[in-house]
Amino acid sequence: MEPRVEPLTDSKCALPAAFTSLSPSALIWQDVLAQAMTGELLAAMNYTSLADICDDPAEVADALEHAQGERGHAAAFAAEGRRIGVSVTNNVDARHWKRLRQAFLRCITERDFIACLIVQEIMLESFAVASYARVGKVAPGSLGKTFAAIAAEEEDHIEHAMEILRAERALDEQRFDDKVHQLHLEVMTTLAEMLARDCSHGHCEVCHGSCVKPALPDVRLSAAELRGASLHQYLKTLDKLGLPGEVTLTWVAQLPV
Amino acid sequence: MGRSTAGLIDFALIGHQESWRAAADVLAVLRGPERTPLPDDEIRDILPWLPPRAVCHVDIESLGGARARGLYIDSFIAPDRLADAYIRDNIARVRGAAAYAIKAGAKMVSLGGFSSILIEGNFDQLPQRHDTVFTTGNTLTVGFIVQGIRKMCAIEGRDLRRSTLLIVGATGDLGSGCARCLARDVRRVLLTARNLERLRRLAAELEAAGVEVEMATDLQQFSSEADVVICAASLASSSLLLGRIAPEAIICDAGYPKNLAPGAETPRAKVFFGGLGQVMGGLTFTPDFHGVLNRHPFPDVVHGCLLEGMALALERRFEPFSQGRGFITPERVEEMETIAARHGIYLAPLYNANGPLEETVESGCGKLCFASGHD
Repeated sequence: MEPRVEPLTDSKCALPAAFTSLSPSALIWQDVLAQAMTGELLAAMNYTSLADICDDPAEVADALEHAQGERGHAAAFAAEGRRIGVSVTNNVDARHWKRLRQAFLRCITERDFIACLIVQEIMLESFAVASYARVGKVAPGSLGKTFAAIAAEEEDHIEHAMEILRAERALDEQRFDDKVHQLHLEVMTTLAEMLARDCSHGHCEVCHGSCVKPALPDVRLSAAELRGASLHQYLKTLDKLGLPGEVTLTWVAQLPV
Repeated sequence: MGRSTAGLIDFALIGHQESWRAAADVLAVLRGPERTPLPDDEIRDILPWLPPRAVCHVDIESLGGARARGLYIDSFIAPDRLADAYIRDNIARVRGAAAYAIKAGAKMVSLGGFSSILIEGNFDQLPQRHDTVFTTGNTLTVGFIVQGIRKMCAIEGRDLRRSTLLIVGATGDLGSGCARCLARDVRRVLLTARNLERLRRLAAELEAAGVEVEMATDLQQFSSEADVVICAASLASSSLLLGRIAPEAIICDAGYPKNLAPGAETPRAKVFFGGLGQVMGGLTFTPDFHGVLNRHPFPDVVHGCLLEGMALALERRFEPFSQGRGFITPERVEEMETIAARHGIYLAPLYNANGPLEETVESGCGKLCFASGHD
């Protein structure tokens, strides 16, 4: 099947004639941006789906506003690509991203608003906030500022969702924690595989050429660092929700490598 | 383990793994036997990112039937990040672990190993809550170091009163506590540490009590050899003591991590790990971390600093018994040892990096024989 590509990529943005002479770091940023843009577009699709199951018009508006915000982030990443002379593509049907989308859609099918928030706001956004913040620290100029600014915006999303999720957990802690664990097994396992040191299961279908991970140290990043920072953010977010730290430690320790 | 623990926790033990091997074993238990253990490089990647949190429940029972329930909280300080360059990050980790203990409702918190060293002069940096108290646990550690020295001297047929005692790291809480407990029982005391002003203060205090004291910031400056040594601060190698210790010196490695071993340069030295106690009642970990969190050749052996918190919890004395630096006195040590003994917590059998030192006594050697083969 042909990968589905969200039409966010600017088709008018022809590759610069001197593409082949671009610095090696530009090609690394191209793949980093492609992953980030794909994640943002997936988030936009998730929020749009979430609007479909909301009964309250205010919640519908909120979800659609979030979707629009995520599209804005994707557009910002595309613009950063143009600024450094690379075309940033996306592939929301790439192997890992597709699994993440399917996990979210199962929650939609079950009309489980809380599960949707857990997947998007706790798991996917933890990953986004942590990895964007790391990229923001090392990426040069405008590119770094954009990643840092979007990391901060995504963190605000999480805070908003936390209030709803804390209230839900207060109703039945055990049931809530069991739900988080079930979602963790699917979503965090996929994220852990995405962030594994090597793509041992094959090409991720987002990077342009070979896997970008081995080249990340050239721009002062590493897959290990991005994974570590993401897991740290995830554990701290679960702490804030009130889940027992000793339990979530075991969950994380059991993730695949 | 899993639901809220507030109100059920008497004590919390804050620690960290002293080697990558130990860290790997902890993660292997958490992963469970059905999953392949994490490769070493993965562990080095992941561990520094783990926020402080509880790893297991710890239940202790005294010989008299008293029970206390606690948590072991790992600060996840990486084994290769104990140097000064990481001090801010490491203090932040201990603070995080302390906050976790408070949130869990622990009434008494013991600071284990390097956590105690980091915080002994920085108690104001710990989060505060009126119903949670902190102890470095150093008083009981000093008690076990001193007991260990006396035991080794007895086994080796040495007269402590004729000995020259060298204390490395003398101005720290452990070093100064050991000096106060042993100074009047030896012929002469040599004190070494990095801070000259603190050395002068301690030397003056001991001299005022009639003790013959020599002090130096450099071991090589001492005019005489020591035959009993307490390393209250970690030494990179026992060879650093060369030239300043007698060939058959008794050396107590009381530093953290413990890294002295009978080496090629000091083959006849009698090295033992000091400051360890053994629980004679009952000690259980849930999940089962026996032999993983307490990696010693004898059962239910735990660092004195952690045992102090457990003993106080069994005694229902939730008070900050050991805080600050330089306040450990022989009277306080005796009080703490009495509490510990009341609950069946005693000096652990002696051992070093080569293994148990007391096994051969039991097997009829008659005199303490070292695993290295020297006696």
